[in-house]
Order: sequence, then structure tokens, then C-alpha cells
Amino acid sequence: MFIKENFKMALDSIFANKMRSFLTMLGIIIGIASVIAILAVGNGAADEITTTFSELGATTISLNANDPDQSGDLITNDDLNVLKDSIEEIRYISPNEQMNGTVSSEDEARQTVVSYGTPDLQFVSQMMSSTLVEGRYFNQVDFDEAQDVAVIDEDGADALFGRVDVVGEMIRVSVAQSQMNLRIVGVVEGSFADMQGAFDTSQIPLFVAMPHSTLSNQVPQLAGMDSVIIEVETTEQIDPVSSQVVRLLELRHNSVGDNVYNATNFLQALDQVNNVLSLFINFIAAVAAIALLVGGIGVMNIMLVSVTERTREIGTRKALGATTRTILIQFLMESIILSLIGGMIGLTIGIILSNIIAGALNIVPIFTMGSVALVLVFSTAVGVFFGIYPARKAANLNPIDALRFE
Amino acid sequence: MIEITDIEKIYKMGGETVKALNKVSLSIQEGEYTSIMGPSGSGKSTLMNILGLLDRFDSGRYMLNGTDVSGLSDSELAKIRNKEIGFVFQSFNLMARMNVLENVMLPLVYGKVPYKERRERAIEALEKVGLGDRLEHLTNEISGGQKQRVAIARAIVNRPSVLMADEPTGNLDSKTTLDIMRIFQELNSEGTTIVMVTHEPEMAKYSKRIVHFRDGVIIKDEELTPELLPEREVE
Ligand SMILES: Nc1ncnc2c1ncn2[C@@H]1O[C@H](COP(=O)(O)OP(=O)(O)O)[C@@H](O)[C@H]1O
Ligand SMILES: [Mg+2]
Repeated sequence: MFIKENFKMALDSIFANKMRSFLTMLGIIIGIASVIAILAVGNGAADEITTTFSELGATTISLNANDPDQSGDLITNDDLNVLKDSIEEIRYISPNEQMNGTVSSEDEARQTVVSYGTPDLQFVSQMMSSTLVEGRYFNQVDFDEAQDVAVIDEDGADALFGRVDVVGEMIRVSVAQSQMNLRIVGVVEGSFADMQGAFDTSQIPLFVAMPHSTLSNQVPQLAGMDSVIIEVETTEQIDPVSSQVVRLLELRHNSVGDNVYNATNFLQALDQVNNVLSLFINFIAAVAAIALLVGGIGVMNIMLVSVTERTREIGTRKALGATTRTILIQFLMESIILSLIGGMIGLTIGIILSNIIAGALNIVPIFTMGSVALVLVFSTAVGVFFGIYPARKAANLNPIDALRFE
Repeated sequence: MIEITDIEKIYKMGGETVKALNKVSLSIQEGEYTSIMGPSGSGKSTLMNILGLLDRFDSGRYMLNGTDVSGLSDSELAKIRNKEIGFVFQSFNLMARMNVLENVMLPLVYGKVPYKERRERAIEALEKVGLGDRLEHLTNEISGGQKQRVAIARAIVNRPSVLMADEPTGNLDSKTTLDIMRIFQELNSEGTTIVMVTHEPEMAKYSKRIVHFRDGVIIKDEELTPELLPEREVE
């Protein structure tokens, strides 16, 4: 039997009963459309999250020391210098810690968040902009000599002094019951520059950054660190650098194998988020697959009706020389084409639907060749699986019984 | 060509058994035009279905063109039906969604004949039954007599060795009945072997031989000189 004739016959019989064929396909259309929409929107969301995370820190390692007795000497400023000198891939290394306190000029006192670290703090901290508008950031010399210097942002300068060119002015910072007089060496871009007038910024704490060494001298209980941020050049360096850092610290602190240090990164967190997300996507897709299953049962039902209705036709075809196999292929072809057309309509609706949903969620839907292939394979499979029983029923009819059927 | 010996066919309905054919023996030669007559329920259709390889029998022997058909598989039987036997049914049994030409081409599709040849042969067969100008019509757009002529074209398109017709004019009026009888005579005069079931002597008189049936047995087998119908006038 020629494929072309079979194909035409299947189409003829599908189009002869347009409404019925459409209703039969409905389950498949709904199933495929939901699967496509869920996959496209889900993948779009996953991609959005990945991009956001990567911008945040695809090259960032977060090093933590497990310090149950708060000894505070598991990571020292010396360690940071040694790490930076001996591991070439490390671009920046700094603790990134904050303390709440107050900051005052002669005229004004305000709540503040004090960030402290190495001069690399400017590159690893998300707290303050690293774009200078006045002066300079505190540098290695300031750090090594524990100079009493600080960097504030434009908003802080404005709040304390009423102007921005405040390099050389003194501020008084108090944290943990200790007071420090610090000289401003630089002013960075204001954090709320673009929110001017939006709301009362006087209630928002100011931002101050200073060398960790200076703070350690003045406030000995803050000398220790238990977490450090390390920036490397590329994502690929994250794993090797992480293990080098941990090994070196273990050697320096005689704690090999004690599991004191561990290095994590955003990518691991990202993996976790993506795992949860894909679990969720798969769950919803499974629910949609049940709709497909119901659609398949619909196909089987209609094919069974069709076989009964066309019993005499089948008998006639057999009288004219159709074999069991020919009839089997004819009916199987019909259910496959029915499912495939349903799948195509579902695919189209799914694409439209995911653009609407993704538009509302402000993400870009992602259609993979995989999901299109999935639709084709799945609808064909539904057609074969649910078509085989009715087709066999038709094919195995005895010619004379079929011809006599009323 | 057709040679059956002691064919028996038994139907079981619940507890009852009906012997539809009781040791029937019959032989039909190439070029014959045979009518099978008998009252309703006498076993004519049962015999026809067995001769046409649509049904199996319980005992006896059936040789078709020298082949014992009782040992053949379903698909071998399908192939023989396609190549050697042309059927004309009382209720036409045309494919409703196909046009006239496609209906006639269908046996050639199953016979794996390429499209071009299929079309040529189907048109040739349709011209033979006087429907060369109705190729694209759907089967619900033509009259009963025309439908049966399409069915005849379909039956002869694969040049079978025998044409089998079970009450072919049962659903037709007397004028179209004569048209069909005329076509049968023409086909037979060109060499087609025909076996026709009928219960009307009016029809049987156009054939060359009448086999009389009653209660599953042949009661009379007569040769006759057929009454010739006039040539078909051009429509
Ligand atoms: N499928 C069947 N099941 C049971 N009995 C049948 C069946 N087909 C025919 N018969 C019986 O076999 C006998 C012969 O039937 P049939 O060959 O159709 O007769 P005819 O064509 O001469 O009218 C009848 O008694 C009929 O009732
Ligand atoms: Mg009958």
C-alpha cells in the first residue's frame, strides 16, 4: 500500500468529520499547549535567574571558617595577603562585613552601616558604589599602616556636610561602644542619587567604608574574620581556586582534614535554585501530560467509533484486496495524523500562550528544538499507542462479517 | 477454473446448527455466465462468499485456477481476491468520500499499480460501463444505476478471471436492471467469466447456465441459450 494514498485517505476521513475530529484533538491540543507553554516559560525563568546570578557573582567565591568558639583568628589579614600573593587567579580578596553604628560631623549625627575590609572591598562589596566622585579609595598603604581613613558616599557627604567635596574632612564613627576619628579620603557615587525626593532619605542609614586593619586596632573584638569574599577571573577558576584556598589555609592553621574552611559560590546556589525550579517545571509538565493521556483516550474512543461506523467499508476494502496489514496501517495512520495535527495546533497555541504569560512575567520564553521534537514524538506516540487497538480491531475483522454488518 | 467438491458450511446459532451448504459440488469453466437461483435462505450467498474467498468452509475442497485455497493464509487470500475476483454487491459498497475515478482505482492501489497506469486503466473500465464522463463526481451525486456501473468498473478494473455478483440489481428499477444485464452480457462476450446470484428468473434468462438451489443443495443445473439484449444506445 502506498504511503501517499494512505495519507490522503486519512486526511479525507479526518476532514469529513471536522467538528468531531477537532473535539477528539482537544485533549491533545490542551495537553501539548500546556506542556509547551510550561517548558518555554519555565526555561525562560530559569535563564533569567541564571543571568541574574551570573551578573551577581559567577566568579565569586565565598570562604567561610567554622569558628564555634569565636576565636576570630581562623582567617587573618596575613592570610589574605599570602593567599593573594600565592594564588595568581585571585583578583580581589576581602572580608565583606558590616556593623551598625553612628557617624557624625560637627553639625550632624546619623545612623550608619560601616563596611570594612581590604582595599579590594570596593570591588567585592555590593553595599556601596565603587565609582569615585571625589578623592580616592583607601589603599594598600592605608591598610598596612592601619591609617584612620574612610570613604563615604555622596548622600552621606551631603547629609553630614551639606556638600560633596568633603575629602580631608574628619568624621567620628562609633561602633560597638568604640569611637574613631577618621579622615575622609574619597567620596563614591550616592546610593540613592536616582531616588532624590522619592521619600525621606534622612531615615536611611549612611554608608561608610574603612580598612579592616584600622578597625581591628580600635575595636579588638572585631579583629577576627570568619568569612571572606574572593573574586577570580573566570567561572572555570572557581573550583580549583576554592580548593587551593582551603588547602593553603588548612596548612597555615594546622587544621588539615578538620573541615574548618569551606568555599562556596553562587553557582552552587544557582544549581540549587535551578534544581527546585526544574522539579517544579517537571511536576507541572507531568500534570499537563495527564491531559495528553486523556486526549489519547479520546483519540482511541473516536477511532473505535470510527471502526464500527466503517465496518462495511473495511469489509469492502478487504473484498477488493486489502490485507490485514493494509487496514492496520490505514487506521493507525489516521490516528497518528489526528494526534499530529492536534500536536501542531497545540504547539501553535502553546507558543502564543507562553508569549502572553512570559510577557506578563517580564521574561523571555525559550523554545528549544527539544520541546518541538518532544511534541512530534509525543503526539506520534499517542497516536500509535491509542490507535493500535482500534486499528487492530479493524484489521482483524473477518471480511464477510464486516460486509454483512448493518 | 472453479472446481468445488462436497463443500459444507455449517452456521451455529446458539444451540442450533444450520447446514447452509450440504456437500455442494460445482465446476465453472472459463468464459461461462452462470446464474445461481433459488429461494431466499437456500444458501446462494453463502456459496457466493465461499467462491469469492470472503468466507471459509467447514469441509470439502475448492480448487481455483488449479490452486487448493483451503491452505492459504489470510493475506494470500486477499491477494487472490485482488487479482482474480471482481465483486459486485447488491448495495454497491462504494467509498462515500471518494470520487468515481478514485473508487475504481482502489483495487489497483491494493494491487500496487503505479498511479499513471491506475488512472488509465480505471478510465478505460469506466468507459466500458458508459461512465467515462463522470470521473470526478462523488458517489452521492450519481444515480443508483450509475453507482452499480461504477461498482462493475471497479470489479473489472484489475482484469479478474471471474466477476461475482450477488443480487446486483436487487436495489435497482427495471430499466436500470436491463442496463446492468446488458453490460454483463457485453463483458461476457468479451471473455469475462461471470457468476451471478439472483432469485428472479427474469434476470437469469440472460445468462448461459442456471444452477438451481434449495436448502443448501443443487437441485438442477441447466444450460440455456441466453436471450440477447440489444446493443446499448449512446446516452
Ligand atoms: N452469519 C450467519 N449466521 C447464521 N446463519 C446464517 C448466517 N448467514 C446465513 N445463515 C443461514 O444460512 C442459510 C443460507 O443463507 P444465505 O446463504 O444468506 O441464503 P440466500 O442468499 O440464498 O438467501 C440461511 O438459513 C441463513 O439463515
Ligand atoms: Mg443472499
